[in-house]
Amino acid sequence: MSKLTDDKTESNYQGSALMRLLSYMKPYIGWVTLCLVLVLALTFFDLYRPTLIGDAIDLFKVRGDYDIIVNTSVKYGIVLILSLIFNITQTWVLQKTGQRIILTVRKDLYAHIQSLSSRFFDLTPVGKLVTRVTNDVEALDEMYSGILVRLFRNIVKIIGLAVVMLVLDRKLALFSFILLPLVAALTVLFRWIARKTYRVTRTRLTDLNTFLSENISGMRIIQIFGREKRKYEEFNDKSRKLYNAYYREMIVFAIFRPLIYILSIFSLMIVLGLGSREVLGGAISIGTLYVFAQYIQSFFDPIQELAEQFSTLQSSLASAEKIFTIMDEDALVPEAEDPVILPEIKGRIEFDHVWFAYDNENYVLRDVSFVIEPGQKIAFVGATGAGKSSILNLIGRYYDIQKGHIYIDGVDIRLLSKKQLRSAIGQMQQDVFIFEGTVESNIRLYDENITINEVKAAAEYVNASHFIEKLPHGYEEPVSERGATFSAGERQLLSFARTLAHKPSILVMDEATANIDTETELLIQEALEKLMKDRTTIMVAHRLSTIQHADCIMVMHKGKIRERGTHQELLAQNGIYKKLYELQIHHAVTA
Amino acid sequence: MQNTKQKKFSMLPYLFHYTGHYILGIAVLMLVDLASLYIPQYIGEIIDGLTAGALDYAGVKSLLLKILCAGLIMMAGRFGWRYFIIGASRGIEYRMRNDLFAHLETLSARFFNSHKTGDLMAHFTNDLQAIRMAAGMAVITTFDAVVMTVMVLIKMIFYVDFRLTVLAFVPLILVAVGCYFYGIESKKRQTKRQEAFSHLSDKVQESLAGIRVLKAFVQEDADFKSFEEASTASMEKNLSVVKLRAIFGPALDAVTGISLLLNLVFGGKMVLSGQISIGQFVAFNSYIGMLVWPMIACGDCINAFSQASAAFGRIAAIFREEPDIVDKYLTQSLDFSLPDEDNEPNPDSLHLEGDITLNHLTFTYPDGDTPVLKNVDLHIQPGEMLGILGRTGSGKSSLADLLLRVYDCDKGMLLLDGRPIDEIPLAVLHRDMAYVPQDNFLFSDTLEENIAFGLEERIQDHPELRESIHRAAMDACIHDNIMDFPEDYLTLVGERGVTLSGGQKQRSSIARALLKDSAVLILDDSLSAVDTDTEEQILENLMRLRKNKTTIVIAHRISTLQKADHIAVLEEGELTEYGTHEELVALGGFYAHINEKQQLEQQLKEM
Repeated sequence: MSKLTDDKTESNYQGSALMRLLSYMKPYIGWVTLCLVLVLALTFFDLYRPTLIGDAIDLFKVRGDYDIIVNTSVKYGIVLILSLIFNITQTWVLQKTGQRIILTVRKDLYAHIQSLSSRFFDLTPVGKLVTRVTNDVEALDEMYSGILVRLFRNIVKIIGLAVVMLVLDRKLALFSFILLPLVAALTVLFRWIARKTYRVTRTRLTDLNTFLSENISGMRIIQIFGREKRKYEEFNDKSRKLYNAYYREMIVFAIFRPLIYILSIFSLMIVLGLGSREVLGGAISIGTLYVFAQYIQSFFDPIQELAEQFSTLQSSLASAEKIFTIMDEDALVPEAEDPVILPEIKGRIEFDHVWFAYDNENYVLRDVSFVIEPGQKIAFVGATGAGKSSILNLIGRYYDIQKGHIYIDGVDIRLLSKKQLRSAIGQMQQDVFIFEGTVESNIRLYDENITINEVKAAAEYVNASHFIEKLPHGYEEPVSERGATFSAGERQLLSFARTLAHKPSILVMDEATANIDTETELLIQEALEKLMKDRTTIMVAHRLSTIQHADCIMVMHKGKIRERGTHQELLAQNGIYKKLYELQIHHAVTA
Repeated sequence: MQNTKQKKFSMLPYLFHYTGHYILGIAVLMLVDLASLYIPQYIGEIIDGLTAGALDYAGVKSLLLKILCAGLIMMAGRFGWRYFIIGASRGIEYRMRNDLFAHLETLSARFFNSHKTGDLMAHFTNDLQAIRMAAGMAVITTFDAVVMTVMVLIKMIFYVDFRLTVLAFVPLILVAVGCYFYGIESKKRQTKRQEAFSHLSDKVQESLAGIRVLKAFVQEDADFKSFEEASTASMEKNLSVVKLRAIFGPALDAVTGISLLLNLVFGGKMVLSGQISIGQFVAFNSYIGMLVWPMIACGDCINAFSQASAAFGRIAAIFREEPDIVDKYLTQSLDFSLPDEDNEPNPDSLHLEGDITLNHLTFTYPDGDTPVLKNVDLHIQPGEMLGILGRTGSGKSSLADLLLRVYDCDKGMLLLDGRPIDEIPLAVLHRDMAYVPQDNFLFSDTLEENIAFGLEERIQDHPELRESIHRAAMDACIHDNIMDFPEDYLTLVGERGVTLSGGQKQRSSIARALLKDSAVLILDDSLSAVDTDTEEQILENLMRLRKNKTTIVIAHRISTLQKADHIAVLEEGELTEYGTHEELVALGGFYAHINEKQQLEQQLKEM
């Protein structure tokens, strides 16, 4: 878990990340090889084209035969057509391969996240995970379908250019290269400065956007408090800072590009100056001089691109490291190796000396034992943090306990199949999550085996049909989490229908405390009674009616069950329950 | 709205502000283009000279010097046009951004309700960027492309040969046309790709936010399937963009190649027949290379300008929105004295007493069809505390909206100190009213700044204000919590600071309102997330602090309301019950019913 919280440890992955990324290419090795071969050919063509013209120039001088020109033209034309075909093939194959790999990585990552335990989701913000699955994976695309091949191409090109020039004329070539280290150094320096300025710009842009989003949402308050002028000043301040950052960026580019340009002019002068002396001295032909003049210019782009590609590669690797960190996260609640499949889950629940902590030794449950027979209804009461909700989470095995055993129908839940276990449990949370879709899809929740009639019957049974049928499109009404079109009570009813449609034999419920209007409240109570009928029910309760109807009430205090019994028994016991109860009544009367 | 008053929003003032920049920038640009033409010519001359044997090494040297001069001019020029024109475009963006924000500040709730924050943000980011690109890079490119094309063509025609020029230029026109259509098609595909990607993001966001539910209902496999669909769709859209690029890039290269090939065939023939020299032939090759970029640029520029004009249209539409909550005193005669010579009333001359009259108040939201308040008659004496009870949707918060002039109601239905509310300058209204909103909006600033939000004075200029800030925080029962935070009053709220609980936010926003110590205070369901003991404490403080000042408390809980001088019950926009706590309990209506129910609930609280 510390891997996630501590970003420093992510750097441990640096070396292996690249190897792991490359291993994803294995199934496509044939295609990738093809691409590399095509790139080699293309680079050769790139270098070949100017020499063709250079040859032509020499030929003009020497003989002046039109056939030679036609000959050269035909060669040039063939090279042109082949370049076109190779280029299209190479780009397309490579991109397709890259996209396929991205899809694989994304699916692997998502499937792995799905398999992680509730503990992981408690500690990791959803936004961070979304970024990993979307943007970070997308950043890998750059690498697979762009950088690797372009890197290869540029290196080949630089080497190719250098070799050809050296072969043509060693001395002239070496002199031509004099300025190249300077170009490389300058480019690296520029990259470094540019990255720094980019970072400033990005921070300021984020600042401004955060400010905007907040203040547009809060415009009402700004206007009610008459603070428009001050907010404008704040905005102007951020806006100006961003402007200054952009300005700096502009200056950095405005200096760098022309600087590189003048270096290319210097190189050209060196080539022409030394070259013409050699020509005058008869050491090289004019055609060679022409080729040199062309080639020296061609050096500049690949060198600059290389620097750019290395920094993109770095950021791809950074994304990859983040992705692999999550992929290496262990599933803390592993499936049993040979899970027991029960013919039917009847709903007998036993906690046998259970100790449980979310982390380390901070036990939220201390030596908790109880037995619930099938069909019994048990209510847990107690102050916040007493451990009530933890008991609910343990039954569905969303966390594993440290000591003791939990048995369902006499089998330790660690031996059961998680799927079967969770299917048998109808878990109802305080806040009901609505998925994008329709009312129907939210009750069905992806389960294709539930028919529309079953959906409707479930909604009918738990009193949800009243408000659903009032919606303009009934069960087909589009809904979403952010749409938030339902009241708290309606959301409750909807979740009842969802639970019922999945036919659980055990009901686990964290009763909502939200303010619900009286009519809906009545509907909810009635629906609850129906739901609990003939089902083992285990709940954290707040309503007097639900508490009083329980077969047994367990009073939790600091992770232990301190009292148990029916409402009347507990009142008679004169313990914590009684005290809590009286305190509330007393308070209500005097308040 | 009044069309006659409509402000014209235009690009021109922004451009005029940078006239000098543009003129200089374009002049420098032309100089660069001119200089750049000479380099291939000098290279050609060197080659020619050497070929003909007419050039000695001193001649080469002087030509090299010329190349150096041209290069230096280009270096300086390339810096210059970036500096002038890109600088101007950044300036335009900056000014427009500020103007847009200032304009948004004048618009009312009606506007913000119908425009999502995300969409408005997009104007600041995407639209301004499109405009900036047009005002900067596209201006440069256009001028550069046109000037370059003309000059290179002239060079080609006069320095080399007319027929050869026509031959070489024809394929290049294809490049320009191709780029234009490529831009349009690529934009279309990019948009689709972006949509698919956002869809994927939404999908992942939702599934991971609801992962506990998915696990509880054992639907991981089904969820994975729908994830797979979304990510496959995203891949396909990516590929559709790539497909276009995979064909277009190499094709562009090929077209340029054709021009070079034509030169080789026909130019070569001319060299042989002595019509042009080898040097001319070489220069011509370079010229073709120089024409490729302007041709690509042509297509790009047209696209950049059309995108900018669409973006500009969207921004102009926002500027055309008329603020509808405005001071009307300029057109109305007022009965309070105006100390200033001009018509501008000095807010200092008017102070609200806190007498509020609702006169047959009926109100329908601008976008609604049924009234949310119906014929409400109510009088609140200065210094009175009024409680308002009602279900969600009964019109309680709408009443607060009207009192704060978030919306305007019909004339004369709402009077403050006997005057129609719209005749009171907004500055007076905002100064003399304090408000605790339902959603407890706090800014991501320090707690201190948040509480002092309603004050005119800035804390940095008046450090003595801190004492009253602490006082207000104590009265709102948030002081102790604040002192427990790592940097007490300097603790940042929100993403980069502490996350306040609902109750802490409520109490901070109560402190913010209390600090204003204004004639009227409105609390809109502001104690709902506060526990009962603290609520009692805050109410006690309220009673003490708000003595002789008007206070309106909107609430769900009877415990919050029972000590008010009067309580009004709203049901579906109508005033159904009105009186003191005891009177209403005795009445046995809605209030009494809720009272009974809540007492029962109280008994089970925290069990």
